[in-house]
Amino acid sequence: MSAKARTRRSNFLIDVALFFICVALLLPLIMLIANAFKTPAEMLQWPPTLLPRNPTLDNFVTVFTETPLLRWMFNSFAFASLSMIAIVATSALAGYIVAKFPFRSINVIFILFLTTAIIPFEVYMIPLYFQVKALGFLNSITGLLIGYLVMSFGIFLIRQNVIASIPDELLEAARIDGAGEFWIFTHIVLPLLRGPLAALAVLAFFQAWTAFAWPIITLTRKTAFTIEVGLANFQSAYTVELSLLSAASAAVMVPSVLAFVLLRRNFVEGIAASGMKE
Amino acid sequence: MTQVEIKDLRKSFGAVETLHGVSFEIPDGAFVALVGPSGCGKSTILRLIAGLEEITSGEVRIGDKVINDVESKNRDIAMVFQNYALYPHMTVAQNMGFSLRLLKTPKKEIARSVKDTATMLGIGELLDRYPKQLSGGQRQRVAMGRAIVRQPQVFLFDEPLSNLDAKLRVQMRAELKAMHQRLRTTTIYVTHDQIEAMTMADIVVVMRDGHVEQVGRPLDLYDHPVNRFVAGFIGSPAMNFLPVSTTRGDAEITLSDGQRLSLPQFRDLDGDFELGLRPEHLRHTPDDAGLRATIESNEQTGSETLLQANLAGVTITALLRERFDCHVGETHGFTVDPAGAQLFDCATGARIVP
Ligand SMILES: Nc1ncnc2c1ncn2[C@@H]1O[C@H](COP(=O)(O)OP(=O)(O)O)[C@@H](O)[C@H]1O
Ligand SMILES: [Mg+2]
Repeated sequence: MSAKARTRRSNFLIDVALFFICVALLLPLIMLIANAFKTPAEMLQWPPTLLPRNPTLDNFVTVFTETPLLRWMFNSFAFASLSMIAIVATSALAGYIVAKFPFRSINVIFILFLTTAIIPFEVYMIPLYFQVKALGFLNSITGLLIGYLVMSFGIFLIRQNVIASIPDELLEAARIDGAGEFWIFTHIVLPLLRGPLAALAVLAFFQAWTAFAWPIITLTRKTAFTIEVGLANFQSAYTVELSLLSAASAAVMVPSVLAFVLLRRNFVEGIAASGMKE
Repeated sequence: MTQVEIKDLRKSFGAVETLHGVSFEIPDGAFVALVGPSGCGKSTILRLIAGLEEITSGEVRIGDKVINDVESKNRDIAMVFQNYALYPHMTVAQNMGFSLRLLKTPKKEIARSVKDTATMLGIGELLDRYPKQLSGGQRQRVAMGRAIVRQPQVFLFDEPLSNLDAKLRVQMRAELKAMHQRLRTTTIYVTHDQIEAMTMADIVVVMRDGHVEQVGRPLDLYDHPVNRFVAGFIGSPAMNFLPVSTTRGDAEITLSDGQRLSLPQFRDLDGDFELGLRPEHLRHTPDDAGLRATIESNEQTGSETLLQANLAGVTITALLRERFDCHVGETHGFTVDPAGAQLFDCATGARIVP
């Protein structure tokens, strides 16, 4: 067998393997979407059907009329966007400073930042809850944000990128040429960190979008729910309304999938940039 | 007038003193090379002049102004870094116009001076490219262009050619020199390569371990080094050193193996010294006269012959201007031009002036 044929055969085997992995990953998703179009009766049938026999939009109509699903999505979107902006801004600034201004006091602060990463959020969630309550921020996006303004991993990620890809001479050349420190940050450092910042933005957005524990303890009013909390609400103490839950989940997936499709390139670029040296 | 004056400059990083009182002066419009082995403090001096590091003590004057406490951007200097420090996200034109943009120069004027400078440097076609699309030599030119565009009082270069291949280095050496002839801007050029220093500079400052060893014109350093270090550092291939002894009143000196060499200018010396012989001052003699040395290797370049030979237990280098067919292990005679021979004090390394 020639080398070329061998390569072709191994490529084919890789394709087959990838195909089955894809199916395995996609099947639950397909089931979920299919369930959203099934009647409650078909839902409970055994054996389960893959495709709905009598597709219906009733589930969607019920979900959108009986729950503020759009409102929840908006809440989640606002929370995730603001958290993303805050995390990108704080990580960029703090990561740059700890990377390029290595004074002892700054190093100490950086180590403190890192140590917060090993304390699980759940440990200080309750004290934080009382703080937020005292401030009167329960049931609001402000209250939600308080736990999601800074990400120590983000600071670390940006610091590593600054060290790897922004040589001191670049900043020194700018200083000699008359640039101020803030100008250097906005015009030289930020553009060079586009890749990692985009990756961090995606990460931060979905961290907030999928947050559950913190929203569910700070949000008690139905209209203030995020989508995660709202979906959990379908599983009441007595029943699980599976077809409604499926319809709501399918509707919620639309913006997530859209966002991923739009940001996919940034995401891949960001991952590549973090290991790349120009 | 942009003379630069450095007076008793000291720099400590933490408790470690790196520069131990450096002084030299650079006349207006001169091209000065700071040369010395890696780690001797050349870059540190440049960074102190540029204001990138704080001066521990001493004084730097540019023109007639002490600039110790002046911010970098107000020192009116431009610096070219070894790795070029071009902004990767800006085009060549944006890189070159960067400083003028910060000075709020009108756009039209920036475009014009960028274009003129680029044309002068032969990179007029590259203005819309990004640094990563350029070759090493082109990046080097852009870095120079960025410095030239702002018409500073002083250029600072930190080993600007060391990332280029040998051939390009020789070419850029000539171009840099030509640029200086044309602009006549006071220039301080740091290099560890003594050939660059010798060929480009009006004045060479030789440094070692945070001290200035000697300041002088290139050929003066070659002919009249103050000590063994400068003698060994300047010149390629490097000077040979041999232990010798002399007695007062004797016109000849004695090598460690007893061979004798006539150096009448050192007749009045007495004691042990180090003899310095430049490889190009050795001549082969066909008869049995001269110093006898055993050939260890023989490299012919066509125009010259580079020999390694064992003389009195020391491997010396001889650079002959003629072809010389000899074999390893043979013993040959070499004569020395007495005017080119130098003696150094064994303890201090200082050159003995006859
Ligand atoms: N920021 C710094 N902190 C501590 N030591 C430094 C720093 N910069 C330079 N040095 C030390 O100062 C000495 C001279 O360095 P440098 O001026 O870069 O040498 P050169 O340019 O001649 O090779 C070296 O021993 C180096 O380790
Ligand atoms: Mg250096």
